[in-house]
Amino acid sequence: MVSDAIGNRIKRYETLLKEMWAASAKYLGAFSVSLLMERVVWEVSLEYKEIELLQYDQDGVSCARIAARLEENPELPVEDMFMKFIARYVEILAKLLGYERAEEIRKRLRILGEEFNEDPFAKGGMKSGEDKNRH
Amino acid sequence: MERIKTGIKNLDYILGGGVPAYSLNIVSGSPGSGKTIFVQHIIFNNARDGLRSLYLTTISESQLKMIRHLQEFSFFSHELLGDKIIYGDMGAVLRKEGASRGLDYLVELIKKYLPNIVVIDSLKVIRDLFPDEKAFRAFVFELAALFSVWEITAFLVGEYEEEELTRLSEFAIADGIFHLYGQEEKRFQKRYMRILKMRGTSFQQGEHLFQISPLGIEVYPRLRPGGEELQYEVKRGRKKFGIQGLDEMLCGGLLEGTITLISGATGAGKTIFALKFLLEGVQRGERGVFLSFEESALQLQHTARYLGWSIDGYLADGQLEIKFISPIELDVDKHAFEILDMIREKKVERFVIDSISSFESSVSDVQKYRDYLWAIGQQLRREHVTTIFTVLNEDLFSPLVVSKAQLSLIADNIIILRYVEHNSSVKKVIGILKARGSDHDKSLREYEITAEGISILGRLDKMDMLK
Repeated sequence: MVSDAIGNRIKRYETLLKEMWAASAKYLGAFSVSLLMERVVWEVSLEYKEIELLQYDQDGVSCARIAARLEENPELPVEDMFMKFIARYVEILAKLLGYERAEEIRKRLRILGEEFNEDPFAKGGMKSGEDKNRH
Repeated sequence: MERIKTGIKNLDYILGGGVPAYSLNIVSGSPGSGKTIFVQHIIFNNARDGLRSLYLTTISESQLKMIRHLQEFSFFSHELLGDKIIYGDMGAVLRKEGASRGLDYLVELIKKYLPNIVVIDSLKVIRDLFPDEKAFRAFVFELAALFSVWEITAFLVGEYEEEELTRLSEFAIADGIFHLYGQEEKRFQKRYMRILKMRGTSFQQGEHLFQISPLGIEVYPRLRPGGEELQYEVKRGRKKFGIQGLDEMLCGGLLEGTITLISGATGAGKTIFALKFLLEGVQRGERGVFLSFEESALQLQHTARYLGWSIDGYLADGQLEIKFISPIELDVDKHAFEILDMIREKKVERFVIDSISSFESSVSDVQKYRDYLWAIGQQLRREHVTTIFTVLNEDLFSPLVVSKAQLSLIADNIIILRYVEHNSSVKKVIGILKARGSDHDKSLREYEITAEGISILGRLDKMDMLK
């Protein structure tokens, strides 16, 4: 059972991811969004293994397993992990949809993410270290 | 739009800059049409720009044979193998574990190598592993989504016949389709490429000639006769022949940037008039090119010397260039493009083709011949090149027949050279049939070509000479 504190901590990320999913599925389709999630999960997992606990399928996203892990280990840097995930997701999305469409999505998500200390929706986003291997 | 440059000669120009990034492209054609060399040339060019490619073979061609064959091409480099170009076998996994496992295996390879480009050679083999069309269609759809999400530009190679291109589902899903094929045309075995589709970018449609040489693939874009409105600045300057009587008949010379047809029977002096026109230009500091299908550069040099015209110095310093192409070797699709390229590059002001009758014998049909000339003419006008086309009139004593293929339509000016009989001797006469945008002398004048050059003599005094 996940405590309220943990639940609330994770909930805002889950809401944001769900919104991100819905916004991008509108353009890419659920199947491609699912593939995009798989890619970003894999990239972020090179630094934060726990992101593999993120559950997603064509119906949406759930952070329940991450919340459970956080309950076991409150020191998990989930904020950094989600920030990296979201930034990378939006960065790839911008390349696939063009910056104009991605900017619309960013604006919608930024409202939801206002309370975060970092802005994962800043143009260009935070670059994951992995992508430097690619030209 | 982000693009992947192919690096293949003239192909990026046809594609408006390259293939759109993250697109899924099918390269189709029958066996031996050049598909594998085409994609290999692209990935080696991109490897030199730092992009990584994953080339997955199925059962169509063994890797060993393919690499041995590729070493013959100058684009090949051993240093790029293993780092920027990774070869893999997808066929074994598909055959052992089933087609449905193919995507998972592909994702594993993508995660391992993070390629920018993926080639699957051949998609047709994979198609045959699927139980039905529906399952294969779903596979291609998933493949397309996978590549775009991983920001990969894909080339799927397949041995397809032309009729399959409109019928099979993979062509509906693909963003781009390159179809390669060969056909015999006149005495040449030619290779052609058509881009049937390229989502997200404009491209030049139609049949583009390509050749496979030790350099790899070289494409010669189709010359386009119509399509775009001809807009160019009309210049009112004149280009003289340096033949006093003729320049007078033309009210000062040919208008700059126009196309002139010199039509005449064999031996009438078409080549000599055209050569004189170029030599007059080079004496004035202009650059000229003489494209000859009939006489070699040495023969033309000899003719010029006989007529007392300086030519050697201009040839030596490159101000005048004589390019001889044997009619046997003439390939209009290739040479027309190369010539226009040279004219643009060297900023040529006067240009001669001697004769366009040789063009005709190299092109498969009269309509294509006219289209080519029209396209060449359009481009020369745009570049303000004052041009002469010589054309053979096969009837020695005919009245003013210019040409059977309505070539007069492409010419701004028409000069006719012909023979007439007079008191049991043969004389040569010159007349100006047309000079668009300019006044001109309507009379027929006798002329002579001697060791002193060309002399325009008096007007013909008897009308019945035209019979």
